[in-house]
Amino acid sequence: MSVRTLKGKRRWLALGGCLIWLAFTFFPLYWVLITSFKTPIAVVGGPTYLPFVDFEPSLTAWSELLSGQRGEFFNTFLASTIIGLSAAVAATGIGAMAAYALVRFTFRFRLLSALIFVAIAFGGFLLGRHVFGFGQGISLIYAFVAALVLAVISSRFPLPGPELGNNDIVFWFVSQRMFPPIVAAFALYLMYTEMGKLGFKLVDSYIGLTFAYIAFSLPIVIWLMRDFFEALPVEVEEAAMVDNVPSWRIFFGIVLPMSKPGLIATFMITLAFVWNEFLFALFLTNSKWQTLPILVAGQNSQRGDEWWAISAAALVAIIPMMVMAGLLSRLMRSGLLLGAIK
Amino acid sequence: MSQVRLQQITKSFGNVTVIPPLDLDIADREFVVLVGPSGCGKTTTLRMIAGLETASSGSIRIGERDVTDLRPGSRNCSMVFQNYALYPHMTVAENIGYGMKVRGTPKAEIDKAVADAARILNLGAYLNRKPSALSGGQRQRVAIGRAIVRQPDVFLFDEPLSNLDAKLRIEMRTEIKLLHRRLQTTAVYVTHDQVEAMTMADRVVVMNQGRIEQAADPITLYEAPANLFVAAFIGAPSMNFVEGQLERGDGGLQFRADGGVAIKIAESRAEKLGAFVGQTVVLGIRPEHTMAADPSAPTVRLTVRDIEPLGPHTLALGRIGPAAFTAQVYAASRIGPDDEIEVPIESEKMHFFLKETGVAIGR
Repeated sequence: MSVRTLKGKRRWLALGGCLIWLAFTFFPLYWVLITSFKTPIAVVGGPTYLPFVDFEPSLTAWSELLSGQRGEFFNTFLASTIIGLSAAVAATGIGAMAAYALVRFTFRFRLLSALIFVAIAFGGFLLGRHVFGFGQGISLIYAFVAALVLAVISSRFPLPGPELGNNDIVFWFVSQRMFPPIVAAFALYLMYTEMGKLGFKLVDSYIGLTFAYIAFSLPIVIWLMRDFFEALPVEVEEAAMVDNVPSWRIFFGIVLPMSKPGLIATFMITLAFVWNEFLFALFLTNSKWQTLPILVAGQNSQRGDEWWAISAAALVAIIPMMVMAGLLSRLMRSGLLLGAIK
Repeated sequence: MSQVRLQQITKSFGNVTVIPPLDLDIADREFVVLVGPSGCGKTTTLRMIAGLETASSGSIRIGERDVTDLRPGSRNCSMVFQNYALYPHMTVAENIGYGMKVRGTPKAEIDKAVADAARILNLGAYLNRKPSALSGGQRQRVAIGRAIVRQPDVFLFDEPLSNLDAKLRIEMRTEIKLLHRRLQTTAVYVTHDQVEAMTMADRVVVMNQGRIEQAADPITLYEAPANLFVAAFIGAPSMNFVEGQLERGDGGLQFRADGGVAIKIAESRAEKLGAFVGQTVVLGIRPEHTMAADPSAPTVRLTVRDIEPLGPHTLALGRIGPAAFTAQVYAASRIGPDDEIEVPIESEKMHFFLKETGVAIGR
């Protein structure tokens, strides 16, 4: 049943209900918008609702924000944009490839190989640190490289124990999002500082923050893209295989165009996650690569409750996402698969 | 030369064997149809030829090449799928030419091949449309066009007409036959529809549970089915089966069954069938062979349960003793449910099968 089928009074009731809900959800945005145009005096002098009627709008907050009196605004905006876009593009690209592999190919490995990885990674680190007396960073690198190599080699042999498949890999990916991010944030910070001591600057760097975001977005991307790829008709790819189209051409030339709406939706979700992310940005940056959420939060802690300034900064953080969503939603129309099969 | 030779190929998924060792030789330029009920392994066999499934053991040769371990792309086959499997984001022309484009063929050559294919398949007016703007029949023609421009050694068809409506299916049947006559390329065609198999094939391969029950030209299959399965599968309405015994009486060899069936067997066949006296055999007779004009033809007594007037003739569905039996009668006959009628049998069209093994006997 649709609202269009309602008649007379019930129709007006439905419309009224929708309008009330709209007002309810839009009011906070409206409030932020008008507050950003109020003078400090208008903000503290009790609630006013209508510009030009209740209060005289002023550009004080905006000029303060844009002139850099409230922190390195342009730099922060640029950092947020660069990191957000590159992390979202990279995560969507890598995640889509991983998801496609997990949908179309069968992977099998023994639980024991995974355990070997964990044991050697931990054991090797402790060994390097306390027996051979390497630094933390060096021990870490050696231990992980050794663990990876040995785990891959061990998977070539018929080990005893339970066998894991594609679903287990997907679950492993998603499980990374189950523990609280603060755990990873601490660990990442420590690891990055150790790498910094070895000469690779990762804290407060483009590479460091982008890598962290890519790693943290991948589980969601893989989970979402797996569903999109599973919905694709396999015969289309089989037809291309019989037609001697190489695998990479099938993926880039046929699979990706067919799943464009899914890719764009996933990209948008990833971008929104990275754009809004606070915790990692707080730990892993301090000046040059600070992102917008840090700037917005900083408004309150540095200067007190200056709502006009906070509102302006909040709007700057919200508007680009709204514009992106508006642009991309045009590309997310469904029906792209129409005509492929029956 | 592009004959296809399957030697002792098997396919198992885990512990389940879908195809026990199977041998099949397909001659150059032959149009072979694999037919059978769902799950009989016909599609799996086709996909093994295409390389989309790997054979668990055995070898597959196309022409002089052993293709058993080659990937699908290097086998030079073309495949047409039941659900068309077109590239939805490309136009008809791009769909047909994509394979050539990927292989680096010059554009002029692609355009010519696409134009040729479009002319053969009457797609000229649709070259710039997306598949979503085409009807089912047109989509399948695009899929066939994509197969043609490959200039393959072998055409593989996987139930290509199953998604079309009845009228279009008959039209496309003829089109594919004409296309095969024109291109003279070896073709393997999978279908579950025995009419499609009979009408299109040079040779029909009837499969059941992964085995080949019989491989022969359509008329041989119809007139001399090798066993009960083929006899029951080929022909519509399907053959009647009456279980009974062969007995030697004073008047020569006779077939006797419940319901008062006693049919004398002609001298010419008695010699071969004589060896099976005393064993349980199954008499098979097609409904269209129950209209003998000869007044001396043996008859059986049929209890009619229902009649199906088809126009040219009428089917009388009923029972002879315990066995279900369908007889074809003249459209003018005035019979109805619960009637008992005498049905004449064309005795030279009778088939006999051994109950135990299902194998045809006496031929």
